[in-house]
Amino acid sequence: MADSSPSTNLLLLLLISSLDWLPTPGSAFLIDRDHMTSSAPLEPHFTECISREQETFRCWWSPGSYHNLSSSGALRVFYLKKESPTSEWKECPEYIHSNRECFFDVNHTSIWVPYCMQLRGENVTYFNEDDCFTVENIVRPDPPVSLSWTLLNISPSGLSYDVMVNWEPPPSADVDAGWMRIEYETQYRERNTTNWEALEVQPHTQQTVYGLHIGKEYEMHIRCRMPAFTKFGEFSDSIFIEVTEIPTKESTIPLTLILVLGILCILILIMLVVLTQQHRLMMVLLPPVPAPKIKGIDSELLKKGKLDELNFILTGGGMGGLPTYAPDFYQDEPWVEFIEVDGEDGDSGEKEDNRASDTQRLLGLPHPVSHHMNMGCSNAISFPDDDSGRASCYDPDLPDQDTLMLMATLLPGQPEDEEASFDVEERAPASSERSLVQTQTGGPQTWVNTDFYAQVSNVMPSGGVVLSPGQQLRIQESTLATEEETQKGKEGEESKETEEEKQKELQFQLLVVDPEGSGYTTESNVRQISTHPQPVETKPAATMEDNQSPYIHPDSPQSQFFAPVADYTVVQELDSHHSLLLNPPPASPPLPACHSTLSKPPCLWATLPPTCWGTSHREVTMPSDL
Amino acid sequence: MRQSARLQTILDLTAVDAAPLCTNAQAGCHVLSLANLFDRVIQHSARMHGISNDLHSEFELYFLPSKNQIGRVSRNCHTSSILTPNGKENAQRMAREELTEVILKLLVAWRDPLWHFHQSMAHHHDFNNFSSNKSLEMSDMVHELRKGVQKVVEKMQMLGIISNSVSNLASPEALLASDSAEWRLMKDYDLLYCFRRDSNKVQNYLKILKCRIVPEHGC
Repeated sequence: MADSSPSTNLLLLLLISSLDWLPTPGSAFLIDRDHMTSSAPLEPHFTECISREQETFRCWWSPGSYHNLSSSGALRVFYLKKESPTSEWKECPEYIHSNRECFFDVNHTSIWVPYCMQLRGENVTYFNEDDCFTVENIVRPDPPVSLSWTLLNISPSGLSYDVMVNWEPPPSADVDAGWMRIEYETQYRERNTTNWEALEVQPHTQQTVYGLHIGKEYEMHIRCRMPAFTKFGEFSDSIFIEVTEIPTKESTIPLTLILVLGILCILILIMLVVLTQQHRLMMVLLPPVPAPKIKGIDSELLKKGKLDELNFILTGGGMGGLPTYAPDFYQDEPWVEFIEVDGEDGDSGEKEDNRASDTQRLLGLPHPVSHHMNMGCSNAISFPDDDSGRASCYDPDLPDQDTLMLMATLLPGQPEDEEASFDVEERAPASSERSLVQTQTGGPQTWVNTDFYAQVSNVMPSGGVVLSPGQQLRIQESTLATEEETQKGKEGEESKETEEEKQKELQFQLLVVDPEGSGYTTESNVRQISTHPQPVETKPAATMEDNQSPYIHPDSPQSQFFAPVADYTVVQELDSHHSLLLNPPPASPPLPACHSTLSKPPCLWATLPPTCWGTSHREVTMPSDL
Repeated sequence: MRQSARLQTILDLTAVDAAPLCTNAQAGCHVLSLANLFDRVIQHSARMHGISNDLHSEFELYFLPSKNQIGRVSRNCHTSSILTPNGKENAQRMAREELTEVILKLLVAWRDPLWHFHQSMAHHHDFNNFSSNKSLEMSDMVHELRKGVQKVVEKMQMLGIISNSVSNLASPEALLASDSAEWRLMKDYDLLYCFRRDSNKVQNYLKILKCRIVPEHGC
């Protein structure tokens, strides 16, 4: 044994040093036994000597393979304390045979003093020089106590967090007196993994652990060591750390609750309103969709395919008038606005007044009192003033009548009705007869039936404007013929006219600005336009073959006949009488001088030199000054 | 070298701090400065012990002693003649002046041997530069630590914590004049072992002293 042990020790030291494990003096006996080959019988030896607080220590021994020495009392422990050269071996002060342990209390423990341990049998002494140590080198501190953790923060992404772990030093270590200084090593791992993550040894009683993951459970434990020594104590009891996503959930729960409650309240309110049938509220919450409703007419008739019945009703057939006998539908629907089909009396409308056509309003004329109308068109359709459209009287079932056809156009926006109206319009030109709606009373003629857009067909000396609607004009044939004659004659005259005459007639002529602007000119019109600078009459192409001049005579026969005009014209000049001059002849030379005479038009706008503008301006404003 | 320089700087600072800052007889100020001084000294003693431990382990690695040297009964450190308390209670029972004296004695006793150890290490080619630097650092640290402890003693004497009986350590070499030749007989390895043990003693004694005199500041 004595021969083999030094070489064995050398080998072991080499091995351990290669493993970067620095052997400390006094702990060599721990190594020896682990690497001993099993061939040699294992003699009794000390397994370990440990001090917990650097004040006491205890040693454990083992009988080895000598089982006959395992009984208590067969082996005795002796120690040597090298305080002086004359020290002697002494027996263990305190045996604990159940553990095969020898305990050295405070009185028998000296620090920085070498101890050597020895096992003695009856006649045999088992001693190993490696079993010598000093107490400070065998200190393994107890584990810390009172482990706790606090959450430091959570990362902005909500995926990781940091904790601070706190603990107390082991109670057995007298840290307060400064007798022991302790370093701590914290280790942690995920719950069901095997590898521990070790943090750096540090002397403070707290440790920050960074980068833990939300939702995972972590296990942590801590062990102690004396600084500048290598032996660690036992690990403490583990603590478990887990942080779930509760904080974020708590903030979203109230939001969802509030949303759900809000929606429920709104639904309940709506149901209450609907159930109690508060009409006013219902109108606010569920506004009615306007439907075609004519007083006295069932909305069923307005559907496709029932136009004949509708027209029958509208023309007053059968019952002799709509408003009187027709059943009053929609009586109980107060928000229904009715279209007044009967426009005979100016004030017969129950809901809306009969309004004058735009022509009448422009001319400032009274409402048409009576007119030679067929019964079909006696019921002039009058619309509420706010409606921009106007309808013309139409009666497709009475093609042989000379009277105007009033077209029953309903409120715009009804697809079914528009089809009907289009049909009506197409049929209007087919009828060869048109009659001019004239009033018996004096005064300028007034239009009853006008189109949506009217063109100014004539400007009267009195300053009134005569409008000619686009398509559905009705003019008496007699007047047509005369008109054309005079028109042609006029055209012949115009070619010879001097400039001044032209100037005169300009006042009373309609001016076509842009022949190609309107799409209604026919070949004849084009010829006229090209040869004469005069305005060319334009009329709807469809009506051209009907020998109709789409304009209306002004009141006096001396009114000049005018060339067909376009639907839209531009007001170019304003004469001294404040009449609209729609297109002066482009070849007209500038006036030699600006005189305040009636014959010569005042100088206006950009067509005349500025000097004239100033003069004319004076002229114009002079009356006002007076 | 850096460590010794830092120690020197700190000790100089303490010298500067001690006198002017607490010229008025405020007990709290003085106690705080004393506690700070203690902390610095204890830090350096810990550092010194660490270096000695490293050197000792390294020495064992390089030279691989055949057996545990501690078993050699004949080994005797040259500072064994200095009576040192070998337990906590013994150290606590010892008077402050005695304990301070023990510390100073130990530090004084190791100044020359460490210097010579460093000199011998420098000539050993199988000892790397790292260890050579450490031995030099160690000897410097012992020197500076002694100065620091002396300052602590002076401050304690100024505060009246300890009596003036410690002042006769101005010439510490007188104590070991008779024993000065012993350490020449020690082997390097034994020297390292002994110094490692003594540096641990110094560290412990300083800590006990601090926690006895100024316990409220970090014990």
